[in-house]
Amino acid sequence: MRRFEGLLFGLPGLLVLAGVVGVPLFYTLGLSLTSYTFLRPRWDWIGFQNYLELLQDAYFVHALTVSAIYVALTVGLSLGLGLLLAVLLQQPVPLRGLHYFAVSLPMLIAPVGVGLIWKMLLHPELGPLGRLMGLDFLGDARLALLTLALIDVWQQVSLVALILLAGLRSLPKEPLEAAFVDGATPFQRFRYITLPLLRPVLLILLILQTVAELRTYDLVYVLTRGGPGSATELVSYFIYRKAFLGLDLSAASAMAYVLLLVSLGLVAIYYRLLLRD
Amino acid sequence: MVGPGSSNRLLAQLAHLGLWLFSLTFLLPLGWLLLRSLSPEGQPFSLGGLTLDNFVRLIQGPFGLGLRNSLWVGAWVVALGLPLAALLGYALARYQLGGHTLRFGVLATQMLPPIVLALPLFAIFRALGWSGSLWGLVIAYLAFALPFMTWLLMGFFRTFPRELEEAARVDGAGSLYIFARIVLPLSIPGLFAAGVMGFLLSWNEFLFALLLSGRESQTVPVVLSTFITQRGVLFAQVAAGVVLAVLPVALLARVIDRYLVEGLTMGAVK
Repeated sequence: MRRFEGLLFGLPGLLVLAGVVGVPLFYTLGLSLTSYTFLRPRWDWIGFQNYLELLQDAYFVHALTVSAIYVALTVGLSLGLGLLLAVLLQQPVPLRGLHYFAVSLPMLIAPVGVGLIWKMLLHPELGPLGRLMGLDFLGDARLALLTLALIDVWQQVSLVALILLAGLRSLPKEPLEAAFVDGATPFQRFRYITLPLLRPVLLILLILQTVAELRTYDLVYVLTRGGPGSATELVSYFIYRKAFLGLDLSAASAMAYVLLLVSLGLVAIYYRLLLRD
Repeated sequence: MVGPGSSNRLLAQLAHLGLWLFSLTFLLPLGWLLLRSLSPEGQPFSLGGLTLDNFVRLIQGPFGLGLRNSLWVGAWVVALGLPLAALLGYALARYQLGGHTLRFGVLATQMLPPIVLALPLFAIFRALGWSGSLWGLVIAYLAFALPFMTWLLMGFFRTFPRELEEAARVDGAGSLYIFARIVLPLSIPGLFAAGVMGFLLSWNEFLFALLLSGRESQTVPVVLSTFITQRGVLFAQVAAGVVLAVLPVALLARVIDRYLVEGLTMGAVK
């Protein structure tokens, strides 16, 4: 009886989810097993050939490599800087409200907006920062990926810091007080007490940010379109290009499925971490 | 003699300095943006001549239509998604519907890379002739807004004291009555937060909007993205556009400050 009631409550939502998520996912899976392109829109069954070919696709492998560097860079920096910022926000400094306000701003802006702000600031002739530094941050193949990552971190660090601040505030006070009484320095207290206690939140953020960075698309579209050359061609943008500029929808679907599996693996780890608490 | 007191003072000053460095990194670009949006095109930094012209011109153009479209889509996503999310979230929290499998499914759905859904939705909508329709966008946004709101509300219902519901059950109230008359009225803060989050997700979304919208159904992020190619030099217009896109979000976010972190970490941090 209770099971039946639960099903009745959940059914409308589940039906809608099956329609808007389930159907499209099966549709892509089907597509990925055909040779469908926008130029030859026919469902010709070719089995796993698309999946075998994408491993030999040097451009796809390149996109995966660029993404791996990008994710490592952005996640590492936003977690490191976010932790520092969270600790700073906890200190009893004047105008804490103002600082908290400043930190909470970037996470509210649409990524497209963040991209436009920095595109203007870094414009080599008209942007105040670009002109000041005399560098073409987004047009130089050696700088573009790093610039993109730093702009992303500018936004992400805001969310990471607020989450870590919430984590810091929920930590038990006793161990820190005991260490203080025992004469531990502030650094020792942080290194041997706060940091280990914060580990679960840090782990959860590590996964959450990795998944978020794998999705990066908006910033690439606004700032570099994957260029110069293919210096900033992240995997989400590459799949988009494969489908809508390369018109090869079936190959793009196979790539999307690879991305989906990676992402599902990460969510599985995330779910286990949530259960452990 | 350097005692512990003076080293603590030094540390406090360093912390203060570091915090200002961070805050200025966030505030300076945004302050520049605001100033630029209020300055006439072509003469950026004449503080005397601040004007609202950029905003007026913007609203009269395609951006005005974009604002209306974004509001319309966001409102429908919340109107359709929130009731479904409340029911499903309640079933997950109180009836353990589907156990871990379903819970994992809901979580995984909201964390899907958008491109994975964007490809098939584009193909399906084209086949059905729904491309360029705002309803198509509402359907697409439900794919991630519904699981997001469900997850948030599930967390909310879980913290809700069971005793009230059990007392009502002893008094002979039915499950639907308990949900509608006891649980929902007491969940208004949670429902409000979930609704705002669902709206924000739709408001800031770009990839689906780019692929699934037509000339008449562009949303704010899409209109903004066209500014870079067409008016790469018209900084004042672009700046005003970004300011207008952020404003409603900033106002809403103040209202749900407490739920924002919890919502965005999917309940990992309370």
